[in-house]
Amino acid sequence: MEIYLPIAEMSVHWLLLLGLGGGIGFLSGLLGVGGGFLLTPLLIFTGIPSSVAVATTSSHVTASSMSGALAQWRKGAIDLKMAALMTAGGLAGTVAGVWLFAILRRSGQMDVVVSAAYVILLGTIGSLMLRESLSTLRAARSGTMPPRRVERTWIHALPFKMRFPASRLYISAIPPLGIGFLVGMLSAVLGVGGGFVVVPAMIYVLRMPANIVMGTSLAQIIVTTAAATVLQSVSNHAVDAMLALWLIAGGVVGAQLGVRAAARLRGEHLRLLLAVLVIFVAIRLFYGLVATPRELFSVTMGSGS
Amino acid sequence: MRWLAFALLLATPAAASEDLVSGLSQDTIEIRSNYNGTDIVVFGAIERPVSEARPDIVVVVRGPETDIRVRRKDRAMGVWINKNRVILHGMPGYYFAAGNRPIAQTANAATLSQYGLGLAALKPRAVTGRHALKPFLDALIRTETRNRLYVEAPDGVEFLSGTLFRVRVPLPSSAPRGHYVAEVYLLRGGRVIDTRASDLVIDQTGLERRIFDFSQGEPLAYGLSVVLTAMAMGWLSSLAFRRA
Repeated sequence: MEIYLPIAEMSVHWLLLLGLGGGIGFLSGLLGVGGGFLLTPLLIFTGIPSSVAVATTSSHVTASSMSGALAQWRKGAIDLKMAALMTAGGLAGTVAGVWLFAILRRSGQMDVVVSAAYVILLGTIGSLMLRESLSTLRAARSGTMPPRRVERTWIHALPFKMRFPASRLYISAIPPLGIGFLVGMLSAVLGVGGGFVVVPAMIYVLRMPANIVMGTSLAQIIVTTAAATVLQSVSNHAVDAMLALWLIAGGVVGAQLGVRAAARLRGEHLRLLLAVLVIFVAIRLFYGLVATPRELFSVTMGSGS
Repeated sequence: MRWLAFALLLATPAAASEDLVSGLSQDTIEIRSNYNGTDIVVFGAIERPVSEARPDIVVVVRGPETDIRVRRKDRAMGVWINKNRVILHGMPGYYFAAGNRPIAQTANAATLSQYGLGLAALKPRAVTGRHALKPFLDALIRTETRNRLYVEAPDGVEFLSGTLFRVRVPLPSSAPRGHYVAEVYLLRGGRVIDTRASDLVIDQTGLERRIFDFSQGEPLAYGLSVVLTAMAMGWLSSLAFRRA
């Protein structure tokens, strides 16, 4: 049965929406990323206008992150203090990002900068994670587990130190604020939640314990994407409630299954999986940038930029 | 076959010269939750035909006018980016043309262009942009034809008798909401003898209408309710799975 989407002004089969929502929700629960960077292009591929796809994806990510975060919360696997600090940085970053977005758009180089930034960011993060998780796996197989390094890095030299009991960390407030700021800026410019940046940053820069990372990332994503949903409703009228409802119905179930699956897998396996996913998206984007497109022209109906 | 009876009723002779009667199978289309596009039928009859030879019939259905942006990708520094943009003002959001034979054969290009008959005769009212229009207009027609929003059916006009005809017009679910006009043209020897127009409205109704109005009228409350619903569903799912 086809469902008519009143804001997108078209019909899509309900099973497709449930399936898409469920699949991305599963990844979200499994890896602690929002999944917006996968869902948005998939929705556009089904013919949904890109503004509606971007705006409605954020409400799906809110729901599946909520679902996943609550499951982690019961396991005590969320560092609320860290999440709050990163969210504060994120909100400031969003404002800066909106400003940067306007400058880039005026210069007419928006598309190149955004696409190139995406490819470089995803490619770098993906390859770093891939190398790290593979070497950990190899070490585990040969039985020579390296001791957890607690080396003093530049992070420990920064002022304004705070205690994060849930993460068993005593570090400066600057890195979490800074990462939050960077991710907020990225999400405003690139239109993504930023989970795929936050998770690696928590693991490798802040060196948070692996079991705390996912829940904390999800908690922070709830706030960012909820704000994005409201902003998109007000400024673009682009959130489709009917589309959101079907995606969310699949997404929250998928997220729960994802959290259960994650409990059965080892941390380095999960990181390997996320690395492969991120590299795959980077390659796909890179291919889209350099390959000669089949259709050089693109058509947008109605007003908009 | 209500329309058939209606057409026959209208086809009773009155005055002198050859002309047309026409109508639509429905004049409003209501979009509901299971709407997946629909077909309408344009039907008509030729009255007092002047000769045994069958005249040409062209049927055109136009959707609400809109501005359409067309961008062209170009290669710069090794990557493909949108560089050039043209805005075509006053293009139909939906366009359908059908004839009883290829429309290009029914009249000369000037006549077809004057009445806007056929995809080849489609033109914007105005253009913004510094580029030659032709490739952008061609790309637009190519894209919208692929999306089934622009349709040309060379043999779409079906004669049921010497004077009675009908045309099936497929409207996909993505056809924009608004005011449509269905026009019927009677041509003989490449000249337009008579035309008839009927109006059609496509609009949302019921729940879909209320969602749309809510999103436009109260965007803040709308956004907040979507977020709250999303959070509530996330919470409910985690409750349900904890029990299970």
